[in-house]
Amino acid sequence: MAIRELKVCLLGDTGVGKSSIVCRFVQDHFDHNISPTIGASFMTKTVPCGNELHKFLIWDTAGQERFHSLAPMYYRGSAAAVIVYDITKQDSFHTLKKWVKELKEHGPENIVMAIAGNKCDLSDIREVSMKDAKEYADSIGAIVVETSAKNAINVEELFQGISRRIPPLEPQQNGSNGAVKLGRQSLHQTNRCC
Amino acid sequence: MFEHVQVIHSSEQEVCIHISCVSCPHSIGLSILKKMNTVDDNEKVTDVHEQTFPQTEAAEKSFSDEANHETPLNYQDDTIAATTDGSSLTPSKEGVEEKPKKLCGYLYKLGMKGPLKAWKYRFFSYDDMKCNLLYYRIATDVCALGSIDLHAATFHFDVEAEEGIFEIKTPTKPYILKAINKHARMYWLQQLQRKRWEYCNNPSKIQTECIMSSDVHDREGSLHFGDGDFLSPVTTPTDVVGKMVALMPAPQESTSLQNISLKHPWKEIQNTVRNMCGSKPTQAISRSVFHFEESEQVSAEVTTKQFGKMSPSLNFARKARKQNGGFSSNLENISSDKLDNPQLQIQALTEELKSQKDLVKLLHRTLESAQEEKRVCAEYLSAPEEKDRLELIRHKVRQIEDLRQRVEVLQQEKQDLEQCVSLKDFHIEELKEHVQLLMEKNSAKQLVIMKQNEQLLSQMDLDNTTSSGMDTLHGQYRKIDSLMDDINAYKTQNRFLNSEIHQVTQLWRNTAEKETALLMKCSYIEARNCQLESKYLILLRKLQEVLPYLDADYCEVIKRLIEDALQSDIKTPLQPSNVHFSPISEYDDYGFMIIPEYELEHLKLLAKIQALEIRSNKLLTHDVVDKPLRIKWNSLEELSYSTDLKNLVRCGIPTEHRKRVWKWLTCQRINFSANHYKDLLKKCESAQHPATQQIELDIHRTLTNNKHFNSPTSEFIQKLRRVLFAYSWQNPTIGYCQGLNRLAALALLVLEDEESAFYCLADIVENIMPTEYYSNNLSGSQVDQRVFKDLLSEKLPRLTAHFEQYKIDLSLITFNWFLVVFVDSLVSDILLKVWDAFLYEGTKVIFRYALAIFKYNEEEILKLTDATDIYQYLSFFTKTICDGRKLMNIAFNEMNPFPMKLVRKSRAEHMEKFKAELVELEYIKREYVKSKKELRSTGNDMGVSEDEEDT
Ligand SMILES: Nc1nc2c(ncn2[C@@H]2O[C@H](COP(=O)(O)OP(=O)(O)O)[C@@H](O)[C@H]2O)c(=O)[nH]1
Ligand SMILES: [Mg+2]
Repeated sequence: MAIRELKVCLLGDTGVGKSSIVCRFVQDHFDHNISPTIGASFMTKTVPCGNELHKFLIWDTAGQERFHSLAPMYYRGSAAAVIVYDITKQDSFHTLKKWVKELKEHGPENIVMAIAGNKCDLSDIREVSMKDAKEYADSIGAIVVETSAKNAINVEELFQGISRRIPPLEPQQNGSNGAVKLGRQSLHQTNRCC
Repeated sequence: MFEHVQVIHSSEQEVCIHISCVSCPHSIGLSILKKMNTVDDNEKVTDVHEQTFPQTEAAEKSFSDEANHETPLNYQDDTIAATTDGSSLTPSKEGVEEKPKKLCGYLYKLGMKGPLKAWKYRFFSYDDMKCNLLYYRIATDVCALGSIDLHAATFHFDVEAEEGIFEIKTPTKPYILKAINKHARMYWLQQLQRKRWEYCNNPSKIQTECIMSSDVHDREGSLHFGDGDFLSPVTTPTDVVGKMVALMPAPQESTSLQNISLKHPWKEIQNTVRNMCGSKPTQAISRSVFHFEESEQVSAEVTTKQFGKMSPSLNFARKARKQNGGFSSNLENISSDKLDNPQLQIQALTEELKSQKDLVKLLHRTLESAQEEKRVCAEYLSAPEEKDRLELIRHKVRQIEDLRQRVEVLQQEKQDLEQCVSLKDFHIEELKEHVQLLMEKNSAKQLVIMKQNEQLLSQMDLDNTTSSGMDTLHGQYRKIDSLMDDINAYKTQNRFLNSEIHQVTQLWRNTAEKETALLMKCSYIEARNCQLESKYLILLRKLQEVLPYLDADYCEVIKRLIEDALQSDIKTPLQPSNVHFSPISEYDDYGFMIIPEYELEHLKLLAKIQALEIRSNKLLTHDVVDKPLRIKWNSLEELSYSTDLKNLVRCGIPTEHRKRVWKWLTCQRINFSANHYKDLLKKCESAQHPATQQIELDIHRTLTNNKHFNSPTSEFIQKLRRVLFAYSWQNPTIGYCQGLNRLAALALLVLEDEESAFYCLADIVENIMPTEYYSNNLSGSQVDQRVFKDLLSEKLPRLTAHFEQYKIDLSLITFNWFLVVFVDSLVSDILLKVWDAFLYEGTKVIFRYALAIFKYNEEEILKLTDATDIYQYLSFFTKTICDGRKLMNIAFNEMNPFPMKLVRKSRAEHMEKFKAELVELEYIKREYVKSKKELRSTGNDMGVSEDEEDT
């Protein structure tokens, strides 16, 4: 079975639960006091998709505003970006829009965008409605799901959705080793540096 | 007690003695096979006796073990022959001197617990094998009443106590003993010291020493009895100690009731039985051999004699037996209380007899007078005629008259005498009065004399006349004499105590040396064990990696092995019984978890390997490296910048000095007013910095692997909050940057005091780190990444090429190393060492260590030939570094030369480039936006979403 490596980066405001989502996805574990990410952290997980294996190379980033200048390092060459907001924080949804804009301007051309409205277990104090998110996602052609890293809701589905959006391998691209590093095809896209 | 003692002849040379005990619920049968030795040559006797002690123990053991069974005992011949014929007993002096002297003799022992707190006379004997002082009721006893363990005991005596008293203090209990005089006491004390010394320095007795390093043995060889020059050994008081004493009867045996040990009734019985069997006249037994039919009578005799020793009440039986001579052996069946009665009866009967005799005498007299009367009457009646009768009557009347006259005369006489008496009485009365008078006079005179005496005395005191001086002088001489005595006594005591202290110290020192040697050995072995175990785990890990390509059978086995390895708790094999030595806890001195927690299954083995390696490293460096460093640090008084101190700091500051040095280092660079921190805190209360929210979000997620930051109520969390709040106002442009929380937290852990931690944080951000490291797009940090990349290609070209080949962007990994100075990247003890040097030397330490980390793992990385694998490896490899010393060596030796000038220059160049790029980027952005707008104005169908976004 062919293994495809897919670089995915997580973007979003600080504290929305990016690291928690990754932790849930990769280790199926939730830590309430997960250390805030500085710089970035790297994890991998392989999931089957159709007749392929998708190996997600996940780059989790720091959320604080001043770390944004580092973000190009991470989304450069990414096959997909998961942009996370916190459904209990309107601000985080606003930051999400900024990220979408940046990706559109500087990100890889055909990057798959997935919007995750995290902390849906706290929907009684929600500030961002599902409808708003859906409308916005549709407008930019992104996947959208409400997730809960805490209760393991929709996290798998989020990445499955990304998998499905990745176009299947064209036969001539299939190298001898069966692994294709899709993400890096677009490396040369711009010379914009971090 | 013993109802029946039977001596059964079993063969010509052996006699069985059977004793049945009534007081015991189950009759205890003991049969002792006794080799009959018709000993005539007394020379052998002493030898026999010497062997008694070791043998008695064996005998005692089997006796108590199998008391219910008939146990034949091989018992050396009785020693009674020695006591019966003591003339040739004294062995030649040389013979005794040649062999090591047996330490034994009689002493008084103060009964401590029993109902009677009294001096008990006991026979003491030293047992070389166990370093025990055993004590017996009498020398010939087989079973010791108890033993005093000497090997950890101390000895002491008090000058003021009764003569001869000394004390043996064992860790469990003190024993107070009394020798018959001072000399004997000193002899005992010195001998005991010597024995203790010999025992404690006897290399063969400690089994653990077989694993000791040879140098310890060598040192031991040179050890001698450490008496020092304190006290010359006293001569042996042969009359009170030694084997000879054992042969003599115990001096106080006659009053043996008080000596009977109430605590050990059973031993008493045993001993009695032994004595009976072991020391009774041979002829009694030999007779029983030849006169079998008399055996019962003989045994009875044996019993009686024995019992005579045991209690006075039983003595009575013996006396009775002697008095009555012909009593049959049946008497022995009468129990002791029954024997009391006849004597009482006899007494009563004798008294009765006496009174009966008196009565008889009285009756005799009455009988006599009655006979006289009868005789007169008969005479009267027998007179033949009236005349004769008349004559007879007249004769009687005359007789009566005569008697009456005599009575009158006597009465007269009596009256005269009475008068005389009253006269005398009167006279006496007079004399008494006179005496009274004289007495009064006398007492008055005495009073006067007393007064005059007093006067005289006071006068004498005043004048201090010579005559009285003589008297007092005598008294004082006497006093001085006694004081001199005291001084001498104290001197000997002092000398003894000095020797005791000397010896005990020596012993202690020897033991301590042995202990440290053993501990070193132990830690070395443990380290080796850890290494082996970690190697095993590494192997397992390797196997785990290739698991998918293996046969199913192997897979199963390996999986099971891995499971086993993971399950066996890391702490159990590492926790030795002596916990006081390097106690192993989950957390280190600063509360960091020592064993890293990896969530991923395949990393769990790695965590274990790491824990083992950290442990073995610690154990191996503990004595060799850490101790000398500690000594250097302890000798350090004033801190000042110097190459020496720099090198010391690079090796890591010992925990107990770290706080002081860090404080000193921050104070060298920072100069705030005294109330600076408090003022900032006040400001925090009045105004909230925009960063507050972010700080609140992060403080609970700081150093999650540290126990002090684990609970939200922890004091450290509160301190951290205040420090970060204060800093947000100290430098409002930075405010708070994610990562500062980790710096502040580490400073807090080391410095504890929040104000110092605040200064440390301010020092790092404002003085040590270049500008804009935490602010304004973190440009300083980003520049350092480029500087580092250059350095890496210079110092580790091979690795750089490797990374380039796989298009690895290192800054993804190294960025946060620089931003938080390796916090959360390196294991805690290495981290703290890095920080020590970092605070002393500045940012170049970060470069040095970052390079060293890559160098440390260079080979590992070069093996990886896939970008993902490399990234994956780089994402955790810092935590796998366990050998802090190796890393330090690489950082500070292999990376030389490392001129800071070049780093600074490189920084400046890159900063310039970076700024230029930023400008260019801005330009491109603007261009992009412009072009998009143009695009939108031309084609309307595209830009709907973009519009919405901007609103
Ligand atoms: N209730 C709830 N809390 C969450 C969830 N996901 C994350 N959190 C919490 O949100 C905080 C920030 O999470 P983190 O993953 O560090 O966010 P990041 O900064 O985006 O990486 C942490 O305290 C998490 O426990 C969720 O699904 N439900
Ligand atoms: Mg994070």
